[in-house]
Amino acid sequence: MRPALVFGLILCLLLALDGVLFVDGLIRRKAEDATSAKLEVVTSGLGLTDLAVATEARYTRHPAVSDAMAPFMDHPGAIEHFPTGTFWLLPQR
Amino acid sequence: MAQRNLEKQLNILDYALSSLWRRRLKSLSLLLVFAAVIFLLASFQMVTQALTDKARQVLVYTPEITLQKMSVGRQEAIPLAYREQLAGIFGIRRVVPRIWGYYFDEVRLANYTVMGMELGEMPEGARLDTTLSGGAMPGTDERGRVVIGQSIKKALALEGRTTFSLFRPDLSLTSFEVSGEFSPDTDIMTNDLIVMGLAEARDLFAIPAGLVTDLCVYVANPTEIETIAKKISATLPSVRVLTRPQIQKTYQVVFGWRSGFGSICLLTALAAFVILAWDKASGLSPEERREIAILKVLGWETSDILAVRFWESVLVSGLACLAGMTAAYIHVVYFAAALFRPVLMGWSVLRPELHLAPRIEVGNILLILAFTVLPYLAATVIPAWRSATVPADSALGG
Repeated sequence: MRPALVFGLILCLLLALDGVLFVDGLIRRKAEDATSAKLEVVTSGLGLTDLAVATEARYTRHPAVSDAMAPFMDHPGAIEHFPTGTFWLLPQR
Repeated sequence: MAQRNLEKQLNILDYALSSLWRRRLKSLSLLLVFAAVIFLLASFQMVTQALTDKARQVLVYTPEITLQKMSVGRQEAIPLAYREQLAGIFGIRRVVPRIWGYYFDEVRLANYTVMGMELGEMPEGARLDTTLSGGAMPGTDERGRVVIGQSIKKALALEGRTTFSLFRPDLSLTSFEVSGEFSPDTDIMTNDLIVMGLAEARDLFAIPAGLVTDLCVYVANPTEIETIAKKISATLPSVRVLTRPQIQKTYQVVFGWRSGFGSICLLTALAAFVILAWDKASGLSPEERREIAILKVLGWETSDILAVRFWESVLVSGLACLAGMTAAYIHVVYFAAALFRPVLMGWSVLRPELHLAPRIEVGNILLILAFTVLPYLAATVIPAWRSATVPADSALGG
């Protein structure tokens, strides 16, 4: 078998895997649409302002309603030390 | 003619594949490193995009204006009496006071988010029962009843019990009865929440009567949010006014390449490609120069040699890109970005089940290609062209 054909087969296998993932992604998105109604009600009903992903520090639990300088205000000379602070970029207002 | 050209390109492809196979250890390690760098970049992009999308989708329903009192650069309790001053501003439909804050559980070392409000006053407050997986929201006249998020349920290890206690600031205990729990479908918003009435939250945090944490302001016409926010700022200068568009904007920039972790991902990729480009640009090895010289002696033209090098680069970078991006998608969707969770959630004790569904857009794929494949093609084809233009006898003789 010529090398180009072997490579073509490997490529087809990878693309087929991507195709399966794509179809599964569409199904997942459809299922997610069903849950978005609940999220809308809970956000509106409780007046929520932030995603509950990182719960270790107030400035990554509630970045939208915390100060940009919150990491540094715990005591004079305090430095930001929570790991999530490296992932969540605090916006400048 | 086209058939002949296709056959020629297929033969060149065969030769390029055989050439890569001859140096399989080097080619495979290059492919793996390349794929790993693309995996890192693509994973970061998919995680941040999925979270940004989710925030964009749900924060449309956040309060139109949120008021917090600031003092000495910090947020402090806001007087309920401010509502009377707000009553004079035309266009405000409703002002709802809330008491919310963090309760640190010293036994479990976990932070709970406690929210207290009169649910009947909130928009959609009457429909909150539909977001529960069990039980019901506490009624307006029911005292001591709370609704909890999934992680709180796990942390408190209730196992059939419906009551638990929390400490007030003076270390006296106050008991609560769980009247319902939020559905796992809303985990990304309610995972660490304990929702209770305003009076219970006031009692738990020992906040004096007449003070609350913030005021949610709802306006009659959403297009007037900015105008009303300016009027509130003028009326109450010590108050921080957060509008819904500001909150939404925060989440459009909070996950970005400029964050510490994003910068590390980018710099890692950049460093990998600088090393790669430097290696390639510093010239071909004597064996590769000899191979090119032999091909030229056998009658290959410079363009054919360039085509071989081009195909080699396309095969390695294209395969690495496909494999890296596929692996990144599997990592983000099926393993909930397990490799990023130590940074994304840090030392958090309560962690939501992340169900990330990144969008695959042509623009994002092109961005990854532009960062990775194009520099690699340039870094490999240019030295090959320089070498291929050297006369064959001098290359062999050298």
